[in-house]
Order: sequence, then C-alpha cells, then structure tokens
Amino acid sequence: MDRRGFIKTCGTVAVASFIDPSLFSQVLAQQQDGMFQAYKKALLVKSDGTPLKEEDIKPQVNYIFFYPHNATPCYLINLGETVPPAEIKLKDGKSYRWMGGVGAKKSIVSYSAICAHQWSYPTPQYSFINYYPPDKPSETTKKAGIIQCCAHLALYDPKQGGSVIDGPADFPLASIVLQEEGGRFFATGVLGKDQFQQFFDNFRTELRQQYGSTAKARELVDKCIVMEVDKYVQAVVRC
Amino acid sequence: MVTRRDLLKSAGVGAVALGLSSQPVFAAAERIVKMEAFMPPPKGNRVVVCGGGWAGLTVAKYLRRENPNIEVVLIEQRPNFFSCPISNPWLANLVNLDFISHDYNQPAAKYGYRFVNDKVIAIERDKRRVYTTRGYVEYNYLVLAPGIRYNYAPWFGDNQELIRYTKLNYPPAYIPGSEHLALKRKIWEFEEGDFVITVPPGAYRCPPAPYERACMVAEVFKRNKVKGRVVILDPKDDIAPKGPGFRMAYDQVYLGIVEVVTKASIREIDPMKKVIKTTAGDFKFADANIIPPQQAGELVWMADLIAKDKEGKPTGWADQDPLTFQAKADANVFLLGDVISPALGVAYPKSGHQANSQGKVVAKVIASRIAGREIKPGSLMPENVCYSMVNGTPQEAIVISVNYEYNEKENKITPRARTINDRSEALAKSTYEWARAMYRDMFA
Repeated sequence: MDRRGFIKTCGTVAVASFIDPSLFSQVLAQQQDGMFQAYKKALLVKSDGTPLKEEDIKPQVNYIFFYPHNATPCYLINLGETVPPAEIKLKDGKSYRWMGGVGAKKSIVSYSAICAHQWSYPTPQYSFINYYPPDKPSETTKKAGIIQCCAHLALYDPKQGGSVIDGPADFPLASIVLQEEGGRFFATGVLGKDQFQQFFDNFRTELRQQYGSTAKARELVDKCIVMEVDKYVQAVVRC
Repeated sequence: MVTRRDLLKSAGVGAVALGLSSQPVFAAAERIVKMEAFMPPPKGNRVVVCGGGWAGLTVAKYLRRENPNIEVVLIEQRPNFFSCPISNPWLANLVNLDFISHDYNQPAAKYGYRFVNDKVIAIERDKRRVYTTRGYVEYNYLVLAPGIRYNYAPWFGDNQELIRYTKLNYPPAYIPGSEHLALKRKIWEFEEGDFVITVPPGAYRCPPAPYERACMVAEVFKRNKVKGRVVILDPKDDIAPKGPGFRMAYDQVYLGIVEVVTKASIREIDPMKKVIKTTAGDFKFADANIIPPQQAGELVWMADLIAKDKEGKPTGWADQDPLTFQAKADANVFLLGDVISPALGVAYPKSGHQANSQGKVVAKVIASRIAGREIKPGSLMPENVCYSMVNGTPQEAIVISVNYEYNEKENKITPRARTINDRSEALAKSTYEWARAMYRDMFA
C-alpha cells in the first residue's frame, strides 16, 4: 500500500468510527486483509466500575485488562507522546495498518499480553512479559521503551504496532483496537496475528484452575477492568 | 541389492570408531540384508528425523507447520522424553520429574508426524534408507540429531572393562536415562568426603552444566548437613561461561562447600582406588560424577559424516555447513544440535536452546528446498538463551543470551553475548518459564 492509500484508509476509519462503531469494525475488516477480527465492543472501566478516562492512564505505567475473552490478557500503555500509525509487515508476506495511539495526544496503545513466541502471559503469580519504560531499561538487553518477554528475550516495539525488535518471535504482538467515544474507551477487536488458539490449547490446566472451566475462560467480555499490572500480578519478573 | 561390502561401509564406520571387532558388524550386516521396509516408499517428500531431542523434535514439528504435505517420520530410541536442561535443579528436588518429562504422542498427534520408537541400526545414504530393528524406511531428506556419545578413550584407551566400571559407578548423567536417576540417588545418599565433578576437555554438551550441577549438589549437601565438599576439576584456565556468576555463588552461597580447581587436565583415573591424577594435583574422592570427553552421537559416525582434520583423522564432530546445517558430503542430509563442528569463527554452544533454534532453521531450509526455493545463506540464524540455577535457597539464577550475525563479505559469524552474572530470584523464575515455553515449543 502506498502512502496515499494508507492515509486514506486511516482517514476513512477515523471518520467511520466517529459515526458508528460497528461501521468502524466493518471498514477496518475490509481494509485489513483478514488481519482484523472484531469482537464484542467492551467498555474499559476502573476497579470501581466507573469508566476509565484518559487522565486515569498515567504515562509509562503498564496496565492490564482482559479482552476479548475472559482469560486473554492485554496491556494498555500511555507512551507519553504521539504514536503515529504504522504499516506492519509480517514474515509470511501479509501486512496490515496499525492505527497508532488513541486519546488526546494519540499516545495510548494496547496489545495482547500473550507473547507471540511461546505464549508466556501474565498470571496472578507472575508476569515474564512486561513493558520497560524509558527510565527502567532491561538489565539483559539494555533496551527501554519496549515490551520484553524474559522467557526467551522476545522484544517488541509498542511504538510500532508491537513489531518484533529482536529475539525469537516470528510475529508482532497482536494489537487491541481501541476507540475513544466521549472520553470513554472501548476495545472493539484485535488486529494482527493473535495467539488465542495456542493460548487456550496450551494452558488448559492453568485456565481450568483459575476460571473453573476452559469454557468460562473463553467467554467474551463486554466490560474490561483496567488495573496496574502489579496490582494483578504478584511478581512482575524483569530481566 | 545391498552387498555385504555396502553394508560394512555404512554400518561399520561407527563400530570401527568404537573400537569394536568386525564380528558384530558382520552380524549386523547379515541382519540388515534380510530386512524389509516397515513403511511404504514415500509418495511425495519424506523427511526422516533421527533423534527425538531438542533439535529433532523441533525439526519435526516445524517442517509440518511449514508444509503439511511433507511426510515426517521421527525415530527415537527412548519411549519418552527426559530433559537434560533443568535436570540439575531436579537433582536438588527444586522441580519434580513431571516438569522435565514429556510424551512423544502429543506433538506427533497434533502436528501429524509419525513417531517411531525404535533404534537406528544402520544408514545407507546411497539408497536413502534408515534401518531400525523393525526394518528400513526410505527418505528424501534425512535429519540426524542424535546428540552426543561419550568418549572415554583419552582416559582409558580401549580398556572396555574400565570404561564400563567407571560409567556404571560414576555415571556422567549427560545422556538421559538411568544415569540421571543414579546420580540423584548418589548425591542424596552421600554422607562425607569429597564429591568430584569433572569438566570434560574439548567441546561438550551444555558448557555451564557442570558448574550449575556443582551448585545443586552443594545445595543437597547443605540441606542434608553433609560434611563434604564438591570439588570441580576443570581443565580450563577459568570457569566459562558465566564465570563471575558461578564464582560469586561458590564464594557467597556455597562457601567451603564448592571448590573449583582450574588447569586440572586429567592425566589418569583409577576408579577402583577413587583417585584422579591431574595437572593440578592428585585428588582422592569419596564419590564422583565423572563426565568424560564427548563426540557427536553414533548416527553421524554410522552415516560417515564426521569431519576430518588436516591429517585426515576424525575430529569427533559432524561435518556440516555452518549456515544451513546441511552435511557437506550429502545435500540430502542435515546435521544439527550437539553434533556440529565449529565453523566460520564460531562454535555454537551445544545447548538445548541452540538445538531448538537450529531445528527451526533446518525446517525452513528443507521446506524451502522442497518448494523449489533456496534460502539466502545467513538470513536465518540460530540463537541461544541459557539460564543456570546457582542457588537453591532461595532459588536464584544467572543467564547468558547470544545472538549471531553472519557477515557475508567476510564469510564470518559473529556472536553477540549478553550475560547477567548477578544472580536473582527473578532469573530463577525466568529459568522455569524459559523451560516451560521451550517444552511448549516442542510438544504442544
């Protein structure tokens, strides 16, 4: 896709989203060559149940919520600066347009927190995949402003649609499509190559223990409680 | 028609290298002549993978993922998988046997490859056949990932009785099976004196393993309040890799329990009198984990694909292309994992992560070739991440990770290593997550 087409698509989607959220998803789906999957539109809320507002999302803090399924974790990060859209190219030749940040400064991004390499994910006990803000670089890779998984040192760039910077991952992190409507934030779908099937295949025992059944873990959500990662995870493992 | 000479050529190399008499080779040859195929000839492209370790399992799965039309047959002599990585923490009961044991059924069923639980007894490259005890199977491509074999010859020459005695009584526990169980029993039963661990000379599987093992044995001694020490006899000038990290653990966590003796090349071992003579002095031991020198696994010898030095003598390791892992002598054979030789300025460590990573490269190379494409040399490079548990209470680990870059102009591979020698509980947790994720990669 050339620059003109890219800008046109972003513009079309932006206008569409303003008019009708479901149309937003339809347009996105048409433009993304099968790389966008719409899910239930879910409101992001705080722990007290009130809608999450932009001022609640502190810059450089790693927040977690679960979307589109009960058990699939996502990260929400305010990168503190405008994050422009980007075209993401995959190794298999496919590509898609990542929409960049949302919010007043276009600085808020969201990604699936399931590592695209071997599916490490934040559990109530520990998280090996984490955001490293600019002032807290990784001890191992010395990089900051990245999402890094300590299991095998897969590195992703939150400013570039979750693209792989280094390490063994074959795919970027799937991004969560957010919409802002009247100061409230909604998750509407997943863009990129999600790892949900592998996640549900691999963690049956763990999910059954945590959610009672895998069916319960797979249930789609219409509301997402957003919290700081260390409020959910006992040990945030950095490396 | 397979001639007696043909078979001797294929089956005999390994036997000769092992120093066996020709009689068993003839017996094996006679047996092979009468064998029939246990699978029909390939309809399309069949890849036979020999060795169900970290490399072989990865090749099998990723080949099927690359192209489900490729028929994959994985031959492995063990009925189940026992992981050498994390086996040291298991020695100290930091993880249980379930953590490091896995079944071959799951990946074979999920990815649709055939798992053959059998022993390879001969390879005929000219006919593209692999023989097991049940017959032969034909291949289009052959992947040999058998791991290592022990080579006691530098210490004991051809004295098979001494080798047998040493291996039985002081098991290396470097090849999965009873040896690990025996070693665990020995360290938990140990009561007093010096427990010696020998670091092998030359290239060997998992370079930091003896040093990590020393920590875990020391952990058991500490818990059991044993009046004993762990003495590491190391032929190198200093501990490597992760030397500072291990040193700190020995000095701070296991002070007085672990002693490292460097520049200690073994000159002589008397396993009966329990004495090891080295260039750094003689050592009497109460018990020991005698880890011998190593070579590429048997199948590479069987296939006559061992590299030779300038004088034409076998180096002990496979003769493979460093970028594609293709055998230099046979474009249809790939050699990977612990068997490989150093090349282009780099010696890939013989580690589980490396083997897994090489497996992904080989799967791409073979799948591309089948599709009529060639992958640009050096565009896919393996990598390594290696954690070592250096404290059992609390559990703490150190780590090294290495990426490799190929410079086409200079035809050279450059490693880029990152090490964390400051042990931490976070790295211990990462160790287990690394392992869980690797097992997921191979089995799930």
